[in-house]
Amino acid sequence: MIDSLFHQPNYLAAKKLLEATSAERVAISGNLANAETPGYQRLHVAPSFKLQLQEAIRTGDMSALDEIAVRIQEDSSVTTSRQDGNNVSIEREMFELMRNSMDHAMETQLLTGNLLRLRLAITGRP
Amino acid sequence: MIDILPGIQTTASALQAERIRADVISQNLANALTTRGADGKLYQRQQVRFESLLVNDPQGGNPVREVQVTIIPDERPARWAPDPANPGRMIEIPDINVHEEMVDLIVSQRTYEANLAAAKAARSMAIQTLSIGKRS
Repeated sequence: MIDSLFHQPNYLAAKKLLEATSAERVAISGNLANAETPGYQRLHVAPSFKLQLQEAIRTGDMSALDEIAVRIQEDSSVTTSRQDGNNVSIEREMFELMRNSMDHAMETQLLTGNLLRLRLAITGRP
Repeated sequence: MIDILPGIQTTASALQAERIRADVISQNLANALTTRGADGKLYQRQQVRFESLLVNDPQGGNPVREVQVTIIPDERPARWAPDPANPGRMIEIPDINVHEEMVDLIVSQRTYEANLAAAKAARSMAIQTLSIGKRS
């Protein structure tokens, strides 16, 4: 019974998003670290994650939501004009990092809001 | 032990690599006119080689790579310059281009700053994660 408190779609989706945001930050850190490594290909969270998440939310299938894996893979969509074959652009990565920080702030707030509402419902105190 | 700051090792390795690179550049600039090094020979320009290194990951499946830096000597030959002590005679000096070194130094500095920003972002995100469920 207590389990169902933590199985609301909003809460689970926010949790999954937070997991992806965290993985994305690791990928961006790796890209920035290798900005000067010849031949390095930038990494990102597999685009299939977003599609699977949308699908799970649309169908309301919470068990499918839980099973979505966050995978980090090479991003072959970015081409480079650099001589050393490295396709990392520091500007792009810094921008992604900023966006990622904002996403993270939003997702932690969503989770906090969810938990505080639960507490309010249980205790009656805000 | 849980990893509260995942990926921070990668950033740390990059910061260290850029520092070594800046050190090597400083050394080249300082020795631009050194005709006798510690080994008694003409100073040979040094350079760094960056390689990406797969992180030791027990679970596997994490493709994020650290940076490994190696200092290697640059094989470019010495150049001839007039000897200031003996007018009319030439001596061999290392072929170090100050402009080239300075450009490398700027690139190194910018990359260092970018990685530092990544470390700061990791820290503030970890703090946010730890305060989930708290009233702000």
